[in-house]
Amino acid sequence: MLSYIARRLMFLPIVLLGVTLLVFFAMSFLSPYQLVSAYIKSPEELKNQNLDDLVHKYGLDQPMPVQYVNWMKNVLRGDLGYSVSANMYVTEALLTRLPATLELALFAIIPVILGGVWLGTVAAKNYNKPLDHITRVFAIVGWSLPDFVFGLIMLMVFYGVLGWFPPGRLSVWADNVILSGDFVQYTGMHVIDSILNRRWDILWDAVRHLIAPTLTLAYLWWAYLLRITRSSMLDVLNKDYVRTARAKGLPERLVMTRHVRRNAMIPVATVAGSMVLGLLGGVVIVETVFDFKGVGLLTATGAQQLDYTLILGTTLFFGALLVITNLVVDVLYAVLDPRVRLE
Amino acid sequence: MSEILLDVRGLEKHFPITKGLFRRTVGLVKAVDGVDFQVRKGETLGLVGESGCGKTTVGLSLLHLIQPSAGDIRIHVNDTWQTVNNETIKDLRREMQIIFQDPYSSLDPRMRVRDIVAEPLRAHGMRNRRERYERVEQLLEAVGLGSHHMTRFPHEFSGGQRQRIGIARALALNPSLVVCDEPVSALDVSIQAQVLNLLEDLQAEFGLTYLFVAHDLSVVQHISDRVAVMYLGRIVEMADVDDLFAEPLHPYTEALLSAIPDPDPDTVQQQIVLEGDVPSPADPPSGCHFHPRCPYAAEICRREDPQLKVIGEGGHYAACHRAEELNLVGVSVMDSD
Repeated sequence: MLSYIARRLMFLPIVLLGVTLLVFFAMSFLSPYQLVSAYIKSPEELKNQNLDDLVHKYGLDQPMPVQYVNWMKNVLRGDLGYSVSANMYVTEALLTRLPATLELALFAIIPVILGGVWLGTVAAKNYNKPLDHITRVFAIVGWSLPDFVFGLIMLMVFYGVLGWFPPGRLSVWADNVILSGDFVQYTGMHVIDSILNRRWDILWDAVRHLIAPTLTLAYLWWAYLLRITRSSMLDVLNKDYVRTARAKGLPERLVMTRHVRRNAMIPVATVAGSMVLGLLGGVVIVETVFDFKGVGLLTATGAQQLDYTLILGTTLFFGALLVITNLVVDVLYAVLDPRVRLE
Repeated sequence: MSEILLDVRGLEKHFPITKGLFRRTVGLVKAVDGVDFQVRKGETLGLVGESGCGKTTVGLSLLHLIQPSAGDIRIHVNDTWQTVNNETIKDLRREMQIIFQDPYSSLDPRMRVRDIVAEPLRAHGMRNRRERYERVEQLLEAVGLGSHHMTRFPHEFSGGQRQRIGIARALALNPSLVVCDEPVSALDVSIQAQVLNLLEDLQAEFGLTYLFVAHDLSVVQHISDRVAVMYLGRIVEMADVDDLFAEPLHPYTEALLSAIPDPDPDTVQQQIVLEGDVPSPADPPSGCHFHPRCPYAAEICRREDPQLKVIGEGGHYAACHRAEELNLVGVSVMDSD
């Protein structure tokens, strides 16, 4: 298993190389004058400068392959370039925004998986009964409603009307506390930091801001996981070994948990991989809707302003995340199903 | 004659046919339609019939693995008669176990062999893990597997070995009655013989009683002491195996027997080919269920439903109006030992 993981990790650079080639190819449609903007930190630098000189200075008049090699040299040194839209270096921007996205994703993934599997189990146990039909409607609505629409509805109801869950990451007063010297930012994830600092008021404020975006991210995937779990459970329920388990005299609860659900989790783990991909896409949209300052919002603003260094940087970041998630899913698969051998 | 272990009276299993938006019940499939039989302690009762005649349903409803619609099932344990119902079945699973037809799908693919076999022990109160595994080791040895198989998963075994695991699992609780639901029909012929011999050896060793459900008449002839023939949810004939094969009393049995292939190429086979198909159990024919296909059917067969009754001597039961007058052809009894 360990050698399998190591071998899979060796593929990581290859996949990322492919990602950079693709994005760089897309960038080749931009003019050198558009590209040079990435090197200009402030309009001051343009004073008394010929734009063509700048283009020449940064090698942007050279053929695309040469530019690619130059860019890669910088990347390998950990320098992804300067982002105009974020007004800082891309690496720095990614690092400051990452905790927010991690916080959002963690808070979404856990309820998504637990809730989806639970709802699917309920639906399968009540096959063709009212509860099954209710979860079916719930799933159809969740799967049909685009997340930006659902997010706006959430904002409208829970912020506009009720005032419960405001957008952003923190209220202004809490932001001030965090930026003051007394509050130590251990991880950058406000929920964890506030617990470590024993600031329960900040914790409550952070959670309040997380609920609406988390629910928005989660709803679509609840719908998906619930349906997959349900059909997979129904499939396993008709298997002979479930009858065998009953014949052994096991209590129904144990038949369900030990035999039915364990076996039903195998297809669920498979779709969980694509679910994480979808969550990444969802993060971009949800962070934009809720003005939640994470990597997703960073990507969205970068794309709107043609901030190509930032786009390259975030693409690399999401690409790496993707490869690692797929690896985790494959390993999980082997844990769930003894017939799968990782070699 | 030894004492009776299992007494089944009026067993019925009806599946509703539903239709339309609100799933109205528009009819019933009478998969098992009033079955009576007894199984004696230590014997093997073969239950034969073609696909869809309800023989597997009988086996499963005895153990309440499907809920019977009606009927009285009683089992003789510890010198008392106990009725099998939803409350008592939990404890009676110690006494009644089942070996399933398909050894490929009836074992949980995610469990190790030792856990598959040990699970019933744990469910029935054997708390000590080491004790359980010791018992598993004994059981695996009894069915011809070894302790080195304990930590493997089912997919690492062949069909015959998997069926041995299923047998070990069924025997784990030391039951008195084992329902064998076509235990060899999914296996190759060479493996069938091994498993059948194993079942016979285990019967002798542990004093087991078998209800052996099968469609393969030569298998049934080999292993059974008595045989019951089912047609469309009912038992039409029941007798000692030799009597039934040599002198069948029901025309359906005669037709079944004539279909057994004879390995001698010189014998000219007199196969009785039944006309038509098995009628739908949702809409059985009037009178005797077999009359539309019976070459001997008379007027009375269309009107009256024949009861299963003793014909002649030696406990030979048949449900046929003309059982006494017909002179039906059996097969010469092969040397089954």
